[in-house]
Amino acid sequence: MIKSVLIFNQLGKPRLVKFYEQIGTAAQQEILREIHAIIAKRPDTQCNFLEGCQSIGGPDSRIIYRHYATLYFVFVVDSSESELGILDLIQVFVEALDRVFENVCELDLIFHFDEIHYILMEVVSAGMVIETNLAEISRAVSEGKLQIKPASEPSRLGIGALRGFV
Amino acid sequence: MFEKSLSDLIQGLRANKRNEVDYIQKSLEEIQSEVQLSDMRSKSTAIDKLNYLHMLGYDTNWANFNVVEVMASPRFGEKRTGYLAAAQSFHQETDVLMLATNLIRKDLSSSNVMEVSVALDGLAQVATPELATDLFDDATAVLGHSRPFIRKKALVCLYRLVLKHPEGLHALAPQLRERLDDPDPSVVSSAVSVICELARTNPTNYLPLAPKLYHLLNSSTNNWMLIKIVKLFASLTPIEPRLAKKLHGPLSQLICTTSAMSLLYECIHTAVVGDIIGVSEPVADSVGREIELAELCARKLTLFYESTDHNLRYVGLVTLAQLQARRPELVVGQYETVLKCLDDPDLSIRTRALSVISGMATRRTLARTVKRLMSQLILSNTIRLQPACNMPGVSNSEHNGDAVDFNPGAPTTDGAGTSLVNARGSIMQPRQAAAAGPAPADSPEYRLMVVESIVDMCTRQSYANLVDFEWYVAALVDLVYTAGVDVGRMLGEKLLDVTVRVRQVREFSIKLMRRLLSDRQLVSYASAGNSTAKVLCAAAYILGEYCTLLPANSEDVSLLFPPCLSELDGDEQATFIQAAIKVYANWLRDVTGYWGPEVWELVREVNASTMRQLTGLLLARAGDGSDEGVHLSSVVAELPLQVDCRLRHFVEITKAVSVATSNLSDSAPQLCQELHELFTAYELNPVSAAAQGKVPLPDGLDLDTAIGCPIPDTTHILFPPPPPAPSVSAAQPRQRDSQPSKDSSNGRRPRRGSKNDPFYLDNARDSRDLAELPDVDDIPVVHLDLGGLGDAPKPRKSGKKKSGKGRSLAKHSRKNRTKSPRSPSPSPPPPAPVEIAGDEDMPDTDKR
Repeated sequence: MIKSVLIFNQLGKPRLVKFYEQIGTAAQQEILREIHAIIAKRPDTQCNFLEGCQSIGGPDSRIIYRHYATLYFVFVVDSSESELGILDLIQVFVEALDRVFENVCELDLIFHFDEIHYILMEVVSAGMVIETNLAEISRAVSEGKLQIKPASEPSRLGIGALRGFV
Repeated sequence: MFEKSLSDLIQGLRANKRNEVDYIQKSLEEIQSEVQLSDMRSKSTAIDKLNYLHMLGYDTNWANFNVVEVMASPRFGEKRTGYLAAAQSFHQETDVLMLATNLIRKDLSSSNVMEVSVALDGLAQVATPELATDLFDDATAVLGHSRPFIRKKALVCLYRLVLKHPEGLHALAPQLRERLDDPDPSVVSSAVSVICELARTNPTNYLPLAPKLYHLLNSSTNNWMLIKIVKLFASLTPIEPRLAKKLHGPLSQLICTTSAMSLLYECIHTAVVGDIIGVSEPVADSVGREIELAELCARKLTLFYESTDHNLRYVGLVTLAQLQARRPELVVGQYETVLKCLDDPDLSIRTRALSVISGMATRRTLARTVKRLMSQLILSNTIRLQPACNMPGVSNSEHNGDAVDFNPGAPTTDGAGTSLVNARGSIMQPRQAAAAGPAPADSPEYRLMVVESIVDMCTRQSYANLVDFEWYVAALVDLVYTAGVDVGRMLGEKLLDVTVRVRQVREFSIKLMRRLLSDRQLVSYASAGNSTAKVLCAAAYILGEYCTLLPANSEDVSLLFPPCLSELDGDEQATFIQAAIKVYANWLRDVTGYWGPEVWELVREVNASTMRQLTGLLLARAGDGSDEGVHLSSVVAELPLQVDCRLRHFVEITKAVSVATSNLSDSAPQLCQELHELFTAYELNPVSAAAQGKVPLPDGLDLDTAIGCPIPDTTHILFPPPPPAPSVSAAQPRQRDSQPSKDSSNGRRPRRGSKNDPFYLDNARDSRDLAELPDVDDIPVVHLDLGGLGDAPKPRKSGKKKSGKGRSLAKHSRKNRTKSPRSPSPSPPPPAPVEIAGDEDMPDTDKR
């Protein structure tokens, strides 16, 4: 089972915090800090698996992460998941983001943090992977988008302007 | 009033990095008033912003009620925001959830698929036992939804509900089986995921699904699901061995054909872990040759650990270690590759490689592996060692391969002395990372693992892998300096073990021990119970016990009175003093061989200085009131008694020697010549714990008849029977009392049938009672008068694996007790290549 999906940047600023177990806010931040502290100092030449995280899951848990530009995508899973499979899954998730945002970058994640949640929801639900097919994922995401298009129009304009500004 | 949208908030946060906390505080106040507004849109925007702040670590539970309000919004976008907020911040005690039951029920049966989807996702996340019970049927109804997209979410949601509402499992199981036949592959995949999770807790219940899963394994092309099924079978094969045979075909097929590394890896892993490689059916490899599945796995694994991708290397080594546990012969050939992985910059890969390589140790490869590991210890940043002259393997084993040339005759002030500064530095300052950053070998955990692996490889199966014992002792001594972690106790034990058990290495070992003890820096670093002290204790014991093997040296006595002696704890001090007595007695014997006026002079001088040293120690122990006037007899014995007792023995010996040498005589005084026999009359040899059983029973010896009358059981008078717990403590005094009769009894103790007799094993007693029996080592040793068979070494020492300290003390006391003129010392053993005594694997030990 997947226990948690975290996205944070190199400084440890959270971009997405999703726990599939109910954990208090303070504990969530503690886990985030701990994992960032371990991962941030690992160079890319080291393997992307870490075993046994003290604060979440204990010895059965594994931390599997991938480093994309400024961001770390971290999955905390237990031993029933395949390490290499999860690595592929992270890639699928990032590709799904890329399809939705067209050339996704950290700013997209900052300003659409809720949308990242909705995309993740189509890949992982209740700690289990429900879809690994990119086409299916983006179809479900766009179906959700269709229903809120009118409401979100102004805010998207604002962000579009900002992207040029930043 | 103008409201900030979510992006306004985020932009504001980015603009106010300096006073972020103030800004967030202000925003929180705004949100607080916004959620009170009746306009649903403002409310949902406020909750949206709260979601963001929650991610940053701010508590948002005060808005729980408003979250439920937003969840009830008729507009999908707002509803979704509400559900997200609930999923992120609700917990088991959130009371407003009760209000949401009907709301969620309504959304589950909504005609809008997106609403159903959001509700399923939210419910899975926030489910409490009450919600799960109330909504289980509603969620089950959704399983029949026309959209596969909803069906798969319903499946995983139901899994979460079952966790909170276990009674629902009966209803879910048939549904799961049905979903395995779903036309949509994602739904099947989700069902498999749920089955995998459920099977983790109780695999037996899911065995009936095996045929269906097997069918999927053969027909599906969804790699993610195949991985899940393959992993599930790894947990099913141990409970249903017939599966292994069944899986053999499809797994080898997948291994041969799949191009996905993740699937290939899981197949190999399951084949190894599920013991499918044990099925003896041939498979055809890529060129059509028939090979075994195990061999195919081993071959395919090389793709992983020889890969340039560090992730593949890591998992490859993980599985290689598992393959090694089952089929070591398939792994041995990979020695070179794994050795390369030992130098990987990644610590995780290194530790995996380390465990594999230590399992690969053979007589041929041991020296090379140890050399590589030793050089890692030395070359790390924490230890700046001079090109070590006493590094086995590093300097000279290049040429002679397995045996290391080590010069035992080197003076005592050489490399051993200089290296410590650095070794010590490593303990004091763990990280002197150079500009290159900390090397993996600097990690204390890794160093500990390296040291443990080296020792394990060398000592495995009674030193089966060792060719040269002197090399091993030298390596242990090097580890004392280079380990940089707290392994002194282990190294001390191993030094003792090898020296005691391997006769041929004793002379070499004692030389190195003398050198260790004369290394002032090393000695100055010892203090009570620390790593160095443990090693020095072992060194002191070896020097004392085997001092007869080397020419005596009066300086050895003072080596055993190091300045730090008083800082050590009682047992350690006692070891040192006992060793000093032995060395002193041996020296006396040695010098009396050249008796003359000069020797007489020397003996008196050394004796006087030793006596001064001892008196000083005794007086120092008496406290600070120790001015010159205090006489020894007035010094009250103080704890630790074992030290006090030995010091006084030694003082008496020196007194006796001083009386005997008061006048220059023509020949050496008898005392000086014979004192050493106190300690050397018998050679202490380790004996296997099972040795006694191998001594044949002489004719006419009846061990089963009771000797004398049975001792009446007085326990119930002395100690009233209830409560049951103190029965063992009640037995203890009897054990002591009965010792004399035991010693006089010939052979096994007669059965008395007493329940309280700690040595009487009643069949009715369960193992719990046995566990409460006193330590076996407390049982006094019985001397067998075997007549003609008497050449066997006495089984004075049996527990080989005890701590060196305790063992040595036990040995001394017993040795002193057994001093008797009755029998000669055992005959020296016949010359043998290398013998390792005291092990069950060597049945000949006690027959010699």
